[in-house]
Amino acid sequence: MEAKGIAVDRLKIESKIRRLVEEFGVQLAEAERTVGNELAREHSLPSPGARAQEREIHGLSAGEWVTVQGKVVALTSPPTPAIAQAGILADSSGAIRFTVWARAKALPLSAGKWYRLESAVVDEFRGVEKLNIHSGTIITEVENGTPLIPKVIPVRDLRPGVGSVRVKVVQEWEPSHERMLQTGLLGDETGAIKFTIWREEGKEKLIPGTVYSIYYALVDEFNGRLQLNLSTAICIPEEGDIRVLEGEAAQGVIVHLAPGSGLIKRCPVEGCNRVLSRQNYCPVHEIQKDFRYDLRIKGVLDDGIRTRNILVQKEIVEALSAMKLDEAVALAESSPLGMDEVFYRIRDAVLGRYFQVRGSEIDGRILVKECRKIAFDPAELAGLLNKAGGESR
Amino acid sequence: MMNGRKATGPRPGQTFDREPARRVFAGELREVKLQFREGEDEKSPSFVLLPTGARCNRIFLVGTLTEKERRGDQNVFYHARISDPTGTFFLMAGSYQPEAMQQIARIEPPAFVAVIGKPNLFESQTGSILLSVRAESMTAVDRETRDLWVLDTARATLQRLEELGETEESKRAEEHYHTDPTIYRKMVYDALAQLKI
Repeated sequence: MEAKGIAVDRLKIESKIRRLVEEFGVQLAEAERTVGNELAREHSLPSPGARAQEREIHGLSAGEWVTVQGKVVALTSPPTPAIAQAGILADSSGAIRFTVWARAKALPLSAGKWYRLESAVVDEFRGVEKLNIHSGTIITEVENGTPLIPKVIPVRDLRPGVGSVRVKVVQEWEPSHERMLQTGLLGDETGAIKFTIWREEGKEKLIPGTVYSIYYALVDEFNGRLQLNLSTAICIPEEGDIRVLEGEAAQGVIVHLAPGSGLIKRCPVEGCNRVLSRQNYCPVHEIQKDFRYDLRIKGVLDDGIRTRNILVQKEIVEALSAMKLDEAVALAESSPLGMDEVFYRIRDAVLGRYFQVRGSEIDGRILVKECRKIAFDPAELAGLLNKAGGESR
Repeated sequence: MMNGRKATGPRPGQTFDREPARRVFAGELREVKLQFREGEDEKSPSFVLLPTGARCNRIFLVGTLTEKERRGDQNVFYHARISDPTGTFFLMAGSYQPEAMQQIARIEPPAFVAVIGKPNLFESQTGSILLSVRAESMTAVDRETRDLWVLDTARATLQRLEELGETEESKRAEEHYHTDPTIYRKMVYDALAQLKI
C-alpha cells in the first residue's frame, strides 16, 4: 500500500486485526485479508486478491490460488448434488478440469463462453489437477473472439487431466457396461490408448479404421494405465491414415531364462495348446500320445532399475537363435541332452545381450511382438563423454 | 495398501519382484565395504551399498575373462577374473551355481563375457575386506555387447551421482564412504574414453 503512495495508519491496522482475532476468533490470515480488502476499498484500489496476475492454464499446480481467463469447452454432468457444474476450461496454453461447488451459488457457466475467474483454487483429485470455483471466486463473463486451437499432443505424452490427440480407431471392444456406448483402442505413431464413450444424448460411436482429431478428452489413470474418456471431447473425422504403434516398449538385458523356455511340446487337443510336461502330461487332457513342438522364451528383461517378464514366440526365437523349429527338433533328437541342448543353444544366444522389445502387456508379462538387438550408437558415447567430463570442471 | 500385512517377504496375491541387476564398474565395486540384510529372517535378500548410493543385490557386468581357475576336489568351484576399463571383478561359482559353473568351464580366456551375479563381501586371510561376485550365469558375448555395457554403466553411474544426497540410500552412502563425485565422474570419463567413436 505504502508503495502506491498511500499513507496508512499502522496502529489502526494493527488494532483492527487484533479486534478480529481476539474478540471474534477470526484466524490471523483471514483477518489480514479482511483488513487488507477494507483498506483497498477505502482507497479505491483493486483488492489484494484481485491483484494476482492472470495465469496461463498450462502449468497450474495444486495448492495455488489463481486468476485465469478461459473458455468453457465442455460441461459434464456433475457426479454429486454438492457440485453444481463440472467441465473443462481452456485457454491457448492448455485445458483444465473445473468444478463449481453448489455452495458457491454461482451463476451457471455456459459452454462456449469465455470467463475470467478470480481467485479460484487449484487442487488435485486422483492425481489430476482441477480448478475449484467456490464462494470466494469472482466470475466475470468476458468477450473474447480469439479462436481457440487445442494443442494436439502425441499419445505417448498424455498425462492425467485433459488432452487433445490425432488418432486412428484401431480396435472396438465389447462394452463391459450397459451405460457404455463404445470402447476400444485408438492410437497414433507413438502409442495406443483405451477409450470409452458413455451413453449420453448426442453421443455417437467412432468408426473403426478412421482417423479423428479429438479435442479435450478426459485422461484418467486406472490401475496404473491411462485411458481416454471421450464424453467431453469433440471428435472430428479426418482424412488420411496413421500407422499406429501398439503395445508397451521396454529395453534392457535378458538376465534370466526361466524353465519352460526353448523347445516345448504342446497338447494336440483342438483349442488346448497347453504345454505338456516331460511325461507328455497335459494339466487338462492328461497323458497325450501325440504333441506339437514349439519354441519360446520365458525370460526376464532388466534395465538396471526394473525387471520385466517377457514371453517370446516362435518366429522371434528362431530369428534370435538363428535356428528354425525343425533344426531345433533335429538337434534335440540327436543330442544326448535332448531338449536341454536347445535351451542351452538359445540361452547362449540371448542371455546377457541388450534388446529392445515391444508387445502388449498381460498379467505382468510382455508378449513380445517385436524384438531387436540394440546397436552401439557413437552419438550416445559422445553425449555421455560430455556429461561426465563437462560437469567435473 | 498395506492392510496391516507384514512388510517382509512378498505379499499374498502379489507376484515376487525380482531384484534388478545394477550396472557398476569394477572401480566402484572395489570400494564397497558395507553389506546389509533387508528384514530379519535368514531368507531376506542381502544387499551391498554402492559408494554412488544404490543398494544392490544383483549386478550385471560385461568384461574380458582373463583368468579362470578350478579348485577343490569334492567341492569343485571356479575362481575367475574379469576386467573392465576401470579394474577387475573377482568371480566365484560353486556347486550352488551349477549352471554358471558349467558355463565357465566351457569358456576359454581371453573372451568377452556377460555375467549376472550377486556381490558378496568376505574377509580374506590377511584380514582385509574383499568383494567377490557369486555368478548366476556367464555367457560369451561380442565386443559390441561390451561397448553397450560400458555406455549403460556410465549412464547408470552418472545418474546415481546426480541423485547423490537426494535418496535415503545415497545419503547413507555419502555418510559411509564420504563419496567424492569428481573421482567417480573421472572414472566414468576414462572408461568411456577407451571406446572407439
